[in-house]
Amino acid sequence: MDMNEIKEIFFQECEEQLAELESGLLRLNDGDTDPETVNAVFRAVHSIKGGAGAFGLDDLVSFAHVFETTLDCVRSNKLEASPDLLKVMLRSADVLADLTAASRDGGTVEASRTSGLVAELEAYAKGQPLPSASAPAAPAPKPEAAPEAPVAEAPAATDDSGFQPVPFSFDSIDGDDELAINAAASVFTVRFKPRSDLYAKGNEAVLILRELAKLGDLQVRCETDDLPSLDLLDPEGAYFSWLIRVETESDEEAIRQVFEFVEWDSTVEITAGADEEAFAAPDAMGEEQPMAAVPFDLSLLEDEPVVATETAAPEAAPAAQEPAQLAPANMPLAAKAIAAEAEKKEAAVPAVPAAPQTIRVDLDRVDRLINLVGELVINQAMLAQSVVENESGGSSAVNLGLEELQQLTREIQDSVMAIRAQPVKPVFQRMGRIVREIADMTGKSVKLVTEGENTEVDKTVIDKIAEPLTHMIRNAVDHGLEGPEKRTELGKNPEGILKLSAKHRSGRIVIEIADDGAGINRERVKAKAIENGLITPESNLSDEDIDNLIFHPGFSTADKISDISGRGVGMDVVKRSIQALGGRISITSKPGKGSVFTMSLPLTLAVLDGMVVTVADQTLVVPLTAIVETLQPEKSDIHSFGPSQRLIAIRDTFCPLVDVGNILNFRADLANPVDGVALLVESEGGGQRALMVDAIQGQRQVVIKSLEANYTNVPGIAAATILGDGRVALILDVDAVVTASRGQPLSPDMMLAATG
Amino acid sequence: MSTDGTSPKVLKLPEVLDLNAASRLHEQVLAHKGEDIDLDASEVSRVGAQCIQVLLAAAKSWRAEEQNFKVAPASDVFVKTLQLLGISDEALLPKEILK
Repeated sequence: MDMNEIKEIFFQECEEQLAELESGLLRLNDGDTDPETVNAVFRAVHSIKGGAGAFGLDDLVSFAHVFETTLDCVRSNKLEASPDLLKVMLRSADVLADLTAASRDGGTVEASRTSGLVAELEAYAKGQPLPSASAPAAPAPKPEAAPEAPVAEAPAATDDSGFQPVPFSFDSIDGDDELAINAAASVFTVRFKPRSDLYAKGNEAVLILRELAKLGDLQVRCETDDLPSLDLLDPEGAYFSWLIRVETESDEEAIRQVFEFVEWDSTVEITAGADEEAFAAPDAMGEEQPMAAVPFDLSLLEDEPVVATETAAPEAAPAAQEPAQLAPANMPLAAKAIAAEAEKKEAAVPAVPAAPQTIRVDLDRVDRLINLVGELVINQAMLAQSVVENESGGSSAVNLGLEELQQLTREIQDSVMAIRAQPVKPVFQRMGRIVREIADMTGKSVKLVTEGENTEVDKTVIDKIAEPLTHMIRNAVDHGLEGPEKRTELGKNPEGILKLSAKHRSGRIVIEIADDGAGINRERVKAKAIENGLITPESNLSDEDIDNLIFHPGFSTADKISDISGRGVGMDVVKRSIQALGGRISITSKPGKGSVFTMSLPLTLAVLDGMVVTVADQTLVVPLTAIVETLQPEKSDIHSFGPSQRLIAIRDTFCPLVDVGNILNFRADLANPVDGVALLVESEGGGQRALMVDAIQGQRQVVIKSLEANYTNVPGIAAATILGDGRVALILDVDAVVTASRGQPLSPDMMLAATG
Repeated sequence: MSTDGTSPKVLKLPEVLDLNAASRLHEQVLAHKGEDIDLDASEVSRVGAQCIQVLLAAAKSWRAEEQNFKVAPASDVFVKTLQLLGISDEALLPKEILK
């Protein structure tokens, strides 16, 4: 594994940490007061800092350090997690993400952004928040590209002036901090006697002591009196015990935590204060000075030497030889090296040990597997078909085996799909940032509420919804929500609420973006549509029709094209990209109450459960998710309505009958309903329709092959598939057909306008 | 301690002296009992407390039998781990470190 790979892993982990950081901050923002949440946030920043230190990413380290310092004040309850502070922290999280991205992909982050936040964070850490928390309050633009050590030193300098030094300053960057630590350091005496179980369970006394060494200065005396002679010794027994004097600025709890995982397998006794007597007791070996503090060069204790440590180690070694606290006028370089060493060590120890086991797999490999499984499904279907055709008996072992094979294929397919299923959480989290940025730009106050973020959906779908979603969120904040003054005037909470939710509904994922803003201004939309020649002034449109006008190409209602949403990309693009995914989008809006955009997307873009039907000698596949029930119409149930419309009576209700063959132009005349089968479907816009087909062939799982990719978009047809006999069958776009049955002919244009 | 002029046996310690290595190390050391022995710990990159128990017990046994037992050369990791564990047996640590 070379350096670049390690670095790549670091950045992947950074992404996870950043997500953790953001969700933690948001939880705090929602009033979560669980100390574990603060800890998680702290750990995330700390891990990023540690890793960044190992790779020499100084910008990242210095910013993360300041951030961490402030977080630590919150963690130790010195600072209250006020909404203002959390705002600053959320923005800091964004900057941290940017710095991480900049470190990975090259590029820089504007110095003013970092320095402004650094100043704010420091002010909070000092307990004197800047008067205007949201204003970028950099006292003077810094000449450096990003805050370097001088900036990071600032909190340290303030430590003497009344503010408590922070735990973990072990990895602080300058010499002044060392002094501060010593001033507040307290002494504990730890007696630690492992039992053999401790080793048998894979724990190691060396590691524990090393952990302990990270808290502060240790004096360790090993009691070896129990050690039997060599021939009597059990090599896997536990004979050593330790008496340790810990000088640290952490509390007893921190020390106890070091022993957290071994407390059942050892005797641990922690007492405050130095047990000088115990140390003074004659040492078994006796000849050297047990009280000499041994500064440990932790890097040398690495289990697996990290490549990165090699460059810094020579610098650190001389510095470690002399007790650091005896040299207050430390060269900053050496101190920095020590700090860097410590961080490297910390980076190697995962903060949370009990994470579920995962592996990282290249997406290409999964895709290849999915493709192969798709072929397998088709092949299995073909095999089944030819067996049925060649064998009239049908009760042979072959059939039995085939059935099993079918089940297996199905299971394989499900499992493979599960590999790609991912929660929508990462996308939702990105939206949080977008909301913040736009709210800042527009001076609006917006709270993003997310729901169902653990809803899982295929990775390809996730990748593709981010963009339309971003655009819709921008629109909602920019156009949908009113400014705080306006809202107050209207008697609303000045803070607008944007709700983003995801849920599974009948085999699809439904994502809703709801705002509590002004709703769609229908008058203006209509006027604009007339102006743009989309409709004539005489057109009599329902409210729903007017709302849907915003999905027309090139439609933007904002009076002035704003920086945020009016970039020439309208809702039509959003709609098209969602349709390309096999999804639909609809809008409901109440003036003064807000608008709800609803996206409904397939869970996967690879397979579909469908009902294979015959219509005018053509084989079609109807997505099973759309079908409510199937029935054989009776002559008495069919009623004519108008010139060409027919209704079917189902139980107590009437339902429009949709002649699929006629709408798709498979035949010119209307089919006789009594000869066919009716499929009761639920369309996206609500309401049921009876689709009339000639016959049902069966139910099958089909592998979706995109028509658009291979041919072109055909109205009324969603995609195609290959059937068992090798023939191509078209997959019906139920909603498009239903819409077309309302009297409008199917046309590509209408497709865009109508299916919403 | 007696040095008979014959060059002592050198036992090269493996790179990893963790829990799993303790039994084997114990056997290896026992096999050399009664003769002078030098342990070469220059390759050691990881060492656990149990192996150090074995080595320390060995050092004591050798000392009791007035045979020569010393670790040299030793890797930094080996030395640092001993220091961390508070072990200061002269047989296990190179002289200059004890100063």
